[in-house]
Amino acid sequence: MIRFGRGHRLRHARLQVILAVAAIATAVALPVVLVSVGGGVSAHELAMLQNAGYQIVVSAAGLHGIAHAHPLTEQILSLPSVAAASPVLSIAIDSFPAGPGATPVLAEGVIPVGFGPTLGPEESGLFPLPLPLGDPTDAVHFDNGSYRGPATYDVLVSSPFAEATRVTTGGHLLLGLTNEVSGAISYNVTGTFGVPPTVLGPVGAFAVLVPLSDLQVMTGFANAPHVPVPDAADTVEVAVVPSATSNPEVISSLRDRVQSLVPYYGVSSLSQEATQLQSATAVLTGFYLALSSVGLSVGLVFLTLVLLRRVESERRSIGIRRAIGEPGGSIAAAVVVDGVVIASLGAVVGIAAGYLVVEGLATWAHSTVQEAARLAEFVPLTLTELAGGVVGLSLVAGALAARSALRIDLAEALR
Amino acid sequence: MKEPHAPTLELLGVTRTFDPGEADEVRALRGVDLTVAPGEFASLEGPSGCGKTTLLNLVGLLDAPTSGEVRWDGRSLGGRKDRERARLRLEGVGFIFQRFYLLPALTARENVELPMRALGVPRGDRQARASDLLSEVGLSGRERAFPHQLSGGEEQRVAVARALANRPGLLLADEPTGELDRVNTEGILTLLEKVRADRGATLLLVTHNPSVARRAHRHLTLEDGRVTADVREA
Ligand SMILES: Nc1ncnc2c1ncn2[C@@H]1O[C@H](COP(=O)(O)OP(=O)(O)OP(=O)(O)O)[C@@H](O)[C@H]1O
Ligand SMILES: [Mg+2]
Repeated sequence: MIRFGRGHRLRHARLQVILAVAAIATAVALPVVLVSVGGGVSAHELAMLQNAGYQIVVSAAGLHGIAHAHPLTEQILSLPSVAAASPVLSIAIDSFPAGPGATPVLAEGVIPVGFGPTLGPEESGLFPLPLPLGDPTDAVHFDNGSYRGPATYDVLVSSPFAEATRVTTGGHLLLGLTNEVSGAISYNVTGTFGVPPTVLGPVGAFAVLVPLSDLQVMTGFANAPHVPVPDAADTVEVAVVPSATSNPEVISSLRDRVQSLVPYYGVSSLSQEATQLQSATAVLTGFYLALSSVGLSVGLVFLTLVLLRRVESERRSIGIRRAIGEPGGSIAAAVVVDGVVIASLGAVVGIAAGYLVVEGLATWAHSTVQEAARLAEFVPLTLTELAGGVVGLSLVAGALAARSALRIDLAEALR
Repeated sequence: MKEPHAPTLELLGVTRTFDPGEADEVRALRGVDLTVAPGEFASLEGPSGCGKTTLLNLVGLLDAPTSGEVRWDGRSLGGRKDRERARLRLEGVGFIFQRFYLLPALTARENVELPMRALGVPRGDRQARASDLLSEVGLSGRERAFPHQLSGGEEQRVAVARALANRPGLLLADEPTGELDRVNTEGILTLLEKVRADRGATLLLVTHNPSVARRAHRHLTLEDGRVTADVREA
């Protein structure tokens, strides 16, 4: 066991042990921080995926995205096991809350009756439901691809936007595609909605929700009655009936049927995405550990040096013990135990330090880092594996030092 | 505890050369033939550097000869495995080293307990025996002192107590009274002789002190790595 000599040798030996513990603790703290924060963020994203109110997503890249959003939504709704389908178009536009000065906002175009049922439990708490938009089925502007008025021009604004611009329910808000106030249209503000805490920064937090066709008309050259407009959406989110939400076979066969409707668009189920996210997380965790293994190697080399140094300074004592006839095994075991004790201390201190660093980031860091740190998860199994790995490797360090202890030449050591 | 067994010691043409073939090669022993019977009390004298400590180390299986054989009871032990020689040392040999060699991090009593601990003697037993041995060498009350808190003579007496711990059949003492005054020298010699007489242990004792050497029954003189005189008392 670790037992020091007296006087300055005691202080010297104690300092070495403290340094070795610190080196291993530092090496352990890094993966603790990386893995716990990385794992926490992925777990959060996974939970969001699993808590989403929809199970299948149709998506298409490019300017016009999904070209026939309304008829596609109708087709999907007629499939068995489908509870709701919600096309969503997101476009950055300009708003004019007070006079000619433009404020950029993210406009989300949705079909009000489809949007509500595809919200997950966390999101749905943020919206007044049903959405207080005067055109619930989005039929006023849009009817099978043709423009039909008159529009209700209703808009919901995000609460951060409402707060910042003093726009209130019952008031009006000018929205336009360009920062020219002359081209803007006046909307009635019919309510506000919350912004999930994970949406960061003014671009995400300043948002408006309008009927899908209103946004399509605005971005597809509005104010042109009776002219066909491009029926674009970025995604169509599809919710299955409640009895099938946790039935992967129903979801996957539905996914296949939707895919056969739109062979040229991406159709994925969230469980597929979850699987992809999980494997991406596993790769990332492996990468973090590989990265940390550099630090761990340095820590273990340091531990080996300290143990060798201890053996060297205990040369005489080891020689005496062996001269008396103490078995080599028990001398070697004592050296190995020293290494294991140092490594265990280092692992415990490192895990504690990693935990404190994450707590500190969650308390004092800025925005994104703080958000991520707050999501950190400390998985006991992972921490135990990490500590076990470090202690296991310390056996190698101990074995090297023990070997050198057993190689001490007695006649030399006792001169 | 087992009864001590004193082996018949034989050295046949033993040489020991340190750093052979190098510029600083030292031929510490140059061919020693010697037999020591169980229960003998032999003194070993000779000038500094003549090879006395080297000889004790070989007899006590701490070191192996460069050539020749070291035998215990007719068995050649020079080439045995480390582990086996360690076991033989632990059970059979009590060393009193020239420089005491106490462990600085252990108390006097813990130093005396060391060989018993290695042999697996239960804690209570070995503590009691260690205290007894320390009082036999006149150190009762000093059990908890660390070596650096002891005088040279006291350290030497702790070393004697430690050598006796496992009741060895072979006592190898390298100037065990070098640091002691007359009274303590007398006490230690009486103790060693008593152990030898009571248990039939063999005692091989290096000394420069003629009055100490006089108490032995056989007087060996070593010069330049060779035994030059071997005198038995009638
Ligand atoms: N491990 C070693 N390596 C090299 N030379 C050694 C070693 N041990 C002893 N010697 C040399 O061997 C010779 C005999 O040494 P040894 O210790 O046996 O002498 P000694 O008779 O005990 O002397 P002293 O009375 O001074 O204790 C000396 O010249 C010594 O320097
Ligand atoms: Mg000597």
